[in-house]
Amino acid sequence: MPGNITFSHVDMCFRMRREKVTTLKEAVLNRFRRRNRAADELWALRGITFDVRAGESVGLIGHNGSGKSTLLKIAAGVLKPTHGVVTVRGRVSPMIELGAGFDAELTGRDNIFLNGVLMGHSRREMARKFDRIVEFSELGEFIDMPVKNYSSGMYARLGFAIAADVDPEILIIDEVLAVGDERFQAKCMARIRTIREGGCTIFYVSHGMASVTDLCDRVLVLHHGQLVFDGNPGRAVELYRELQGMAAPGIAHPA
Amino acid sequence: MTALTQPFSELFRYRELIALLVGRDLKVRYKRSVLGMAWTLLNPILQTAVYTLVFSKIMKIGVPGFPVFLLAGLLPWTLLSVSCTASAHSLLNNQGLIRKVAAPQAVYPLSVVGSKLVDLVFSLAPLAVLAMVMGRVPNWSWTFLLPAVLLAGAFTVGLSLVFSSLMVFFRDIRHLIDILFQVWFYLTPIIYPPEYLAQLKNPWIRGVLGFNPAAPIIRCFQIPIYERCFPDAATVGLAALFAAASLAGGFWLFLSVQDRHIHYF
Repeated sequence: MPGNITFSHVDMCFRMRREKVTTLKEAVLNRFRRRNRAADELWALRGITFDVRAGESVGLIGHNGSGKSTLLKIAAGVLKPTHGVVTVRGRVSPMIELGAGFDAELTGRDNIFLNGVLMGHSRREMARKFDRIVEFSELGEFIDMPVKNYSSGMYARLGFAIAADVDPEILIIDEVLAVGDERFQAKCMARIRTIREGGCTIFYVSHGMASVTDLCDRVLVLHHGQLVFDGNPGRAVELYRELQGMAAPGIAHPA
Repeated sequence: MTALTQPFSELFRYRELIALLVGRDLKVRYKRSVLGMAWTLLNPILQTAVYTLVFSKIMKIGVPGFPVFLLAGLLPWTLLSVSCTASAHSLLNNQGLIRKVAAPQAVYPLSVVGSKLVDLVFSLAPLAVLAMVMGRVPNWSWTFLLPAVLLAGAFTVGLSLVFSSLMVFFRDIRHLIDILFQVWFYLTPIIYPPEYLAQLKNPWIRGVLGFNPAAPIIRCFQIPIYERCFPDAATVGLAALFAAASLAGGFWLFLSVQDRHIHYF
């Protein structure tokens, strides 16, 4: 089963225009103005190189703004890196934001199909998985109601159920389990474990260190856009805490 | 070679997404209103009524069966102008999806054109009725409308891709698009027959107006519907040339800048 991700010397630069030029008028006028371009650049990622082999569960931790989400979006194919080469082999199911592709006006049922085709699956495939998705989401009769009437928990449940049920070869998870009640979180965790045992590659981002050490074989630590550690989860969490200025080796593994 | 075809195989993989987006757009417009399809047909019907009154009755332009001639050109023109204006907003309207989902971005303008193509095909039915009533009974030449629709569709896709991308970089381009299509409409033989342009005295104006990529494509509809015969090879050749150029140019521009869109939302 394929499912490897390779990042090789990846840089990601965002141009933070102080005055964002989005009109033709300004673009023409700016030709006559002098601007300091280098000052507007924000390097979200610098020289990122790592390998995720098929079937591995890799965690990604780092402070807010360290570049985690940018890295995930590059892996998911939403962003293209400024420099460097990214190879992703396998069917990716991104759980970057649950229900990202939902149309609020459509019913849960229609959104299952919309979300499926947005991820490049066929409608027939989705029809086959439909019952399982509805069952896992525990939406029952609400499935025929427009999702704009859903609670945030229902929304997330349906989003998770779809993303988890499209036979992914690479599952990218970004802090999505913060929503939903404890019972559903446990159910999602169990589901992720089952997917993992099926040989799926997992790329997991979380601020919950317990779940990272619990789920991942290997953890990457990002610090201000640079990869500072790649290896043992326990050691990664320690380093992460040290970098945060809260070094306390004794509590590296909270229960 | 694979690098060249890869974006297209990617688009092909997402064909069901395009179909679904088209279906969603049509469903919203046709199902959720009592008048349904009438809303889509109302615009060309009203335009035909007004233009017929103004040009045929008041200004006496002297084209027999003017409503049939007008509508034959107005329907493909509506495909072009409405698709381009709507596509221009398609990437901006879907920026939430583009930021989060890795589907190829071209699906958004393509689905706009797809839904307007369905409108065009639907409106051919009332046009056939009108033509019949006005004594221009549809004959075998109507079969040419199939390639004509494909040519118009290809031409429209190319331009729609260009405008949707430009709009992301330059938001004020929407005003230019409105003006462009207004001017272009009057310069294209839709409310007057093409012979009028050939009679122009000034060779410069005649030459410039003769080079109108929309004209041969519109003619591919007017000739089978109004004159009831197959268009000549020169017209078809020109239409195919412009359609291919628009399609190739549109995809080339879109694919080469699409990765930068996300930084401009």
